[in-house]
Amino acid sequence: MEKFAKAFPSSPLQAKTAKPWALAGVVGSGNLEVLLEVGGRPSDRMECHVETSIPGYKASWLAALADFAHNYPAGGTKVTINDQGAPPVLVNLRLRQAYDHLIKSNK
Amino acid sequence: MSEKGHMTNTNSALRRQNKAQRLGRLGKLARGKFVSPDKVPQVLKRIIESGDILCLEGDNQKQADFLANNLATLDKKDLHDIHLVMSCITLPAHIQLFKKGMIRQVDFCYAGPQGTAVADLVKAKKFPVGAIHTYNELYARYYIDLTPRVALIAAAQADRKGNLFLAANTEETPAIVEPTAFSDGIVFAQVNEIVDKLPRIDIPADQVDLVVEAPYPMHLQALFTRDPAAITDVQVLMAMVALRGIYEKYEVQSLNHGVGFNTAAIELLLPTYGERLGLKGKICKYWMVNPLPTMIPAIESGWVESVFAVGGEVGMERYTAARSDVFFTGRDGSFHSNRAMGQLAGHYAIDMFIGASLQIDINGNSSTVSKNRITGFGGAPNMGCQPTGRRHPTKAWLKAGTEANPGPGSPPGRKLVVQMVETFQAGRVPTFVEQLDATDPSIRKALHGVAPVMIYGDDVTHIVTEEGIANLAACRSIAERQAAIRAVAGYTPVGLKRKKRETENLRARGIVQLPEDVGVRPAEASRSLLAAQDIKGLVRWSKGLYDPPPQFVDW
Repeated sequence: MEKFAKAFPSSPLQAKTAKPWALAGVVGSGNLEVLLEVGGRPSDRMECHVETSIPGYKASWLAALADFAHNYPAGGTKVTINDQGAPPVLVNLRLRQAYDHLIKSNK
Repeated sequence: MSEKGHMTNTNSALRRQNKAQRLGRLGKLARGKFVSPDKVPQVLKRIIESGDILCLEGDNQKQADFLANNLATLDKKDLHDIHLVMSCITLPAHIQLFKKGMIRQVDFCYAGPQGTAVADLVKAKKFPVGAIHTYNELYARYYIDLTPRVALIAAAQADRKGNLFLAANTEETPAIVEPTAFSDGIVFAQVNEIVDKLPRIDIPADQVDLVVEAPYPMHLQALFTRDPAAITDVQVLMAMVALRGIYEKYEVQSLNHGVGFNTAAIELLLPTYGERLGLKGKICKYWMVNPLPTMIPAIESGWVESVFAVGGEVGMERYTAARSDVFFTGRDGSFHSNRAMGQLAGHYAIDMFIGASLQIDINGNSSTVSKNRITGFGGAPNMGCQPTGRRHPTKAWLKAGTEANPGPGSPPGRKLVVQMVETFQAGRVPTFVEQLDATDPSIRKALHGVAPVMIYGDDVTHIVTEEGIANLAACRSIAERQAAIRAVAGYTPVGLKRKKRETENLRARGIVQLPEDVGVRPAEASRSLLAAQDIKGLVRWSKGLYDPPPQFVDW
């Protein structure tokens, strides 16, 4: 078990989102859950909280989150990740899915 | 007649005499062409001579396993200094021949299931390898400097004259039999059964010297069956990205798919996602691929015009026979394959090859070899390369060629050679590495200085990962290519070395594309998009004509 938090610079999120929060994935073996919330935090930061069952990969997590914050306007959001040993390739997909759900309505 | 011609006739007469002597030694061990199973070891001792080039039929699917097992009962005192030529070292019996010290040299292509055993033999210096080949490269050498004196082959049926029926698994039999039979070599076939009348003749009796009805049917590996239930959301994302960023962009009409789950996901997205994108009839019409069960939904939805195959697939016999409008079939109605011709087709006549690999280095070279597992290649390098002998244009070929900005001395078109990999393998092992394990000095030494690279970086046009697409063909320098590879290498050590500014520059020029850049919504990347969720779903699509092998049946 490992727990850490960090905020990354990110362009402000669009003013109007489809919903106040969005969830992607589930907490289960080999999977992870990403919760993305709109909040009153600094609008040029993406605030991240990670809890993972597999310690020792903090550098990769931080790099992935930094890239995401850089590639997508996600300033002013709070990201909470509960990881149960998901393969590393799944992390970015779940982040993108949560973000997609947050900003776009699902028709 | 010229002196040279005269010499040749003399040599040929000697070789013919030698063949007659070998067969003459059999005496009562054979009745005409037919040998009883218990006599096989004695027959092998008499027809094979020490020092021979011996071909054992066995690829990644079918095996002349009865003959191989019998050969492995012999010893160094019976046969030694054999030059073994075979496409796949697959069976424990093959490994025995090396352990017993009977082999002087081996030339082969692939050692999938025995990869670990081969690596051990290399370490123990008991694996005197000439080279690891691609399939057609080895078959070609059967006609040049590796012509077999004896070939031990496998067929489904023989008739009383020794004609052979190869059923769905013709595979490489003709490529072995022809050079052997037409050079006074001996062709010895194991068959599952001897019958009065064959459904069709695949190999004429004229080219067959000996036949044994094996006490058990030849081993057939279900190599291309991928259970849709094991496809992940990440693989669905990559499939969507490939469909939009490559298939749709280049209008890929003719293609080969590798055997992995990544391409299986693409096959299963055609009738759903592909249909929604309006791509039916525009892409994926002509295939050089084995009868993959995961192709069934696309075929049933009318996407596919034709499929030619290098081999069969266990359980697809009734389905392929029923869809003879799509698959190549004999007059008897049953499936036909041909490995050499399929490889040739995959080399020259397709717009795109797309497959996976275990390791890719920063220059785009790929390999499945590691220090502890020497697998070799097989078909991928033949299809995953630029056929510079190609002259006919297609839309995809020209478009890819224009993008690659050919010089005054290069072809105007380019085959799309796509590597589709997740950045990590199972167990958090990175796919992307600075240097391939295949370049390890001990492996290079065993292979006379040649690192077993499966596909060279220069031949690759695109790499697709869960991070996006890197268009290597559009890169204008080696440094740029390396930056593009790092950009899609995710959070592997190779990926972590990328520089933000370089990646942004490449993305601005369309050389690196994220899923969103090709119009893919990650939120949609879900298994629920697959046309079939499991093997049972495939059986349903086939209207009950697909008979999955027992290991895939859980109902």
